Amino acid sequence: MIIFPTRRKLLSYAAAGCLALGIQTSARAADDIVIGASMPLTGAFGFAGIPLNLGIQDYLKIANDAGGIGGRKIKYVSEDTAYAVDKSIAAFNRITASEKVSLYYGDSTGFAKTINAELSRRDSILMAGTSFATELNDPKNFPYQFIPGPDYSQMIGILLEYIAKTTPGAKIALVNSDTEFGRDPIAATEKRAAELGLKIVGKIATPPTSVDVSTEVLKLRRADPDYTIFHGYVLAPLPEFMTQMKQLGLKSKFMGTFWSMDNSIWANSAAVADGYMGVMPYRYYFDTEGTSPTLDKIRQLRPEYQTIYYTQGFLTAMLMIEAAKRTLDAKKDLTASNMKASLNSIKDFDTGGIIGVPISISGNTIPVGRVYQYDGANKTMKPVSDWIKIAK
Amino acid sequence: MDWLFLIEVVLSGLGSGALFALTGIAFVLIYKATKVINLAVGEMLMLCAYFFFGLTTALALPVWLAIILTVIGGGILGGVVERALIRPMLGESPISVFMVTVGLSSVLIGFVELVWGGDPRTLPNFLPTKPVFIGDAYVSPKIAVCFLVASLLIAGFLLVFRKWRGGVALRATAADQGAAFSCGINVPAVFSISWIVAGMATAGSGILIGSIGGISPSMGVFGLTVLVAVIVGGLDSIAGVLVAGLAIGVIEALVGTYLGGEFKLFVTFVTLIIAMMIRPYGLFGTIEIERL
Amino acid sequence: MRISSAHETYAQAESFLDTNVQRVMLLLLFAGLVVFPFLADQYWIYLACLVAIHIVGTTGLNILTGYTGLISVGQAAFMSVGAYTVAILEIHVGTPFIFNLIAAGVVAAGVGAIFGVPSLRVKGLYLAIATIAASFILHFLYTNGPSILGGTQGLSMPPARLFGYDFVRPFQLYWLFVPLTALSVFAAANLFRTRIGRAFIAIRDRDISAEVLGIPLLKYKLLSFALSSFYAGVAGGMWAYFFRVVTPESFPLIYSIFFLAAVIVGGMGTILGGILGAIFMTVIPELLKLLVSYMTFIPDATAQLSPIRTIVFGLLIVMFLLFEPQGLAETWRRIRRFFHLWPFKK
Repeated sequence: MIIFPTRRKLLSYAAAGCLALGIQTSARAADDIVIGASMPLTGAFGFAGIPLNLGIQDYLKIANDAGGIGGRKIKYVSEDTAYAVDKSIAAFNRITASEKVSLYYGDSTGFAKTINAELSRRDSILMAGTSFATELNDPKNFPYQFIPGPDYSQMIGILLEYIAKTTPGAKIALVNSDTEFGRDPIAATEKRAAELGLKIVGKIATPPTSVDVSTEVLKLRRADPDYTIFHGYVLAPLPEFMTQMKQLGLKSKFMGTFWSMDNSIWANSAAVADGYMGVMPYRYYFDTEGTSPTLDKIRQLRPEYQTIYYTQGFLTAMLMIEAAKRTLDAKKDLTASNMKASLNSIKDFDTGGIIGVPISISGNTIPVGRVYQYDGANKTMKPVSDWIKIAK
Repeated sequence: MDWLFLIEVVLSGLGSGALFALTGIAFVLIYKATKVINLAVGEMLMLCAYFFFGLTTALALPVWLAIILTVIGGGILGGVVERALIRPMLGESPISVFMVTVGLSSVLIGFVELVWGGDPRTLPNFLPTKPVFIGDAYVSPKIAVCFLVASLLIAGFLLVFRKWRGGVALRATAADQGAAFSCGINVPAVFSISWIVAGMATAGSGILIGSIGGISPSMGVFGLTVLVAVIVGGLDSIAGVLVAGLAIGVIEALVGTYLGGEFKLFVTFVTLIIAMMIRPYGLFGTIEIERL
Repeated sequence: MRISSAHETYAQAESFLDTNVQRVMLLLLFAGLVVFPFLADQYWIYLACLVAIHIVGTTGLNILTGYTGLISVGQAAFMSVGAYTVAILEIHVGTPFIFNLIAAGVVAAGVGAIFGVPSLRVKGLYLAIATIAASFILHFLYTNGPSILGGTQGLSMPPARLFGYDFVRPFQLYWLFVPLTALSVFAAANLFRTRIGRAFIAIRDRDISAEVLGIPLLKYKLLSFALSSFYAGVAGGMWAYFFRVVTPESFPLIYSIFFLAAVIVGGMGTILGGILGAIFMTVIPELLKLLVSYMTFIPDATAQLSPIRTIVFGLLIVMFLLFEPQGLAETWRRIRRFFHLWPFKK
């Protein structure tokens, strides 16, 4: 029986290997403040994940160069999730197992909802993320999360406010992708439109696999709206909608929300996108109106154009650090409830120009934004409204 | 009842059905020759669309040259995949080969994300933008072009399969590989050629679909609806894919108009199940007769 | 070195573990599973729980695809049925944990049998595509169906509760999931020592011959679908307890393909293959990520190398099918054979 010890040895090697993998922890300074992130660097959301990641890193670099938070350095640990909830939670578990995480950046509405119970149980992590879902704007059920901007319903609320002011009684068509993301604001939009005296003349849902939109265009042609509001898309199928509706001589104006409002995605279809409008809570990279020290700093750090996704990451990191700083300044522990209270104590806060007006975070969102319009000739987004604040 | 509206909806349904049919050709050719369902057709189409994008933007080639190069590139892609991945799997269970194509689609997505990044983009517009009116009925110009291209191509394929020796060889191979081989048909060459032609078809539909719906690494999901059309028509029938593609297109258009967009996929797949219960091997597919 | 294993009775010949070595190994495995959560950190326990769920789902699909020869791309859809059943029972009824899981299995089995009906007329890849329909039809029902299903937002449910104790963290759920998984794997292995299981195998090998031999195809094909979906339902129920948020988008088509890949990469028609495949498909992407995170010499490795992981993962599947078409179970057998013949064959 020579084989027995050998096999045991093999097993013990295997066990030792498993342990080594399992117990490995990375070295860190004891008092670092750690921001963890489940980042969608690949997959359907990769287009945003990479700049988001960069934005967070850049802000933290600036913050660390300025001495961190009261002398404590900030450490950033991010992991790719491929935009899948189970992988996001795996990343969360891995990062929180090896680091004492105080702040976290999540990658989807699904993740935010799934991890919520765990956040409440721990009471040690304050979280924000890519999701502007209306459902998350609920301080009671999502006590330790926030949204670095208006939620989707508030975004469309801002658009409706603008429409009501410029074209009272306008006819509106809603085009939404048939996903959780797309259907998010429909109910709130219908309610708000009725309050503002606007008429919803068409509601169109497009399945995520669809390419051709000519059938939908036929419907919109019959409805003949003054405004068509798209939500739940990034780029496709907006250009095709706009091309066909313009060909048909429809007078409708086109509007979109955060994810389809970046400047760079429209560069290739500038002619079609000319006149396209949408809501944006942040100022664009190239916006030089007034003084904006933070934007100056970004432009200095990154001489080439940065997307608004980058800005979202940058601002999220800024608000997270601000919350942690206020908590520590008040000589309190870095618990989630303390940090959330500190975040909510933010009143008339100056973001250094990322948002054009001083902001206050009373609940889970920053309900402020501005309507921009794409100028096809110059290939830039230009503001067409003032900053609009939404009362909750 | 607004008859003009109904006609317009049916026309636009026929147009998007033509897109299904065009992409469906790739499935059918591949299945006919090698008995493989290639789940990576959607992703091959995506890669070709990105290739076209690269040629027209980074290299700034004229559109006609880029189209030719993309179609050639698609052919090479099809040939390489067949030779490197499918040929070695000859004789394995069809499901293993099916899975190889799933792995392939993951590779292609990763490749595109690596080279072009994940940003959604639009292709340069080369299709006519003047609205087409048939009588009073509006047809989207891009869709009209797609319809023309698809029907010409399918007519061409049907003709080729009837007349040309290579087409006959393909049909012989599809009927019985052993018998075809003993008649002197170079069966491995038939495998390669059908994959190459299928690759070219995906390149063509990739360009068309990309110029309508834009391109992104996840645009491959389009392949799924196409697969439904192919199954309904019969996996090994070119005529079937045309009929079923157009039918699915019209059904989706009518459902989307009169019930709402969220019903589209639901009705498509219910149609699939019903069609399979009535005609298990598709409308025009060959019924597999089993002997003991 | 394994010289011989002489059986003295039929019972012995049919027993699961015919040698002492196997029994010792199994005991060691059990000991390892018991010790594991105390040694590993929560990330690895989380993965272990996920693997446990996937093993149940893969084993179920293996019954259908590996043993009965019916290809299905609907396993995740049937899982979603289980997950929704558990969520609704937890939220509205509050029945005990074990009951909910069984109910999840039963409901999923019913739905699976319905979607199995086309299998009576079509086989092979045609059937595979028909099962894709399950994914889309169920997704439509979840989002547009009665409000009890929660619409696009889905359902959030309370944790599993047993004897007044909440199972919330992976460490706690581990103690529920691992025994459950062991039980279901054991049941599946036993299935193929019964009349039903052998009928499945006969259908896989040649369904017409099986019918000639007196196996009613209608009954057994639907039974196979139902059994396989029962496993999927239980796995979905476990999934629901694990994540506690069930939405229509939780079980995409790609998840069904994941299970199919697990069965094929692991080895069709072997219980061990299902287990190895589920481990491979769950753990390899994480290991690849780990590997990338060690490449600190490349600046910003996580962001730069992420697409390469997608490529490598796809290539791994392709390579496996090319060079080990019988799956990981065959690799395992080869390793075992090596040890059995060890001093003699070098």
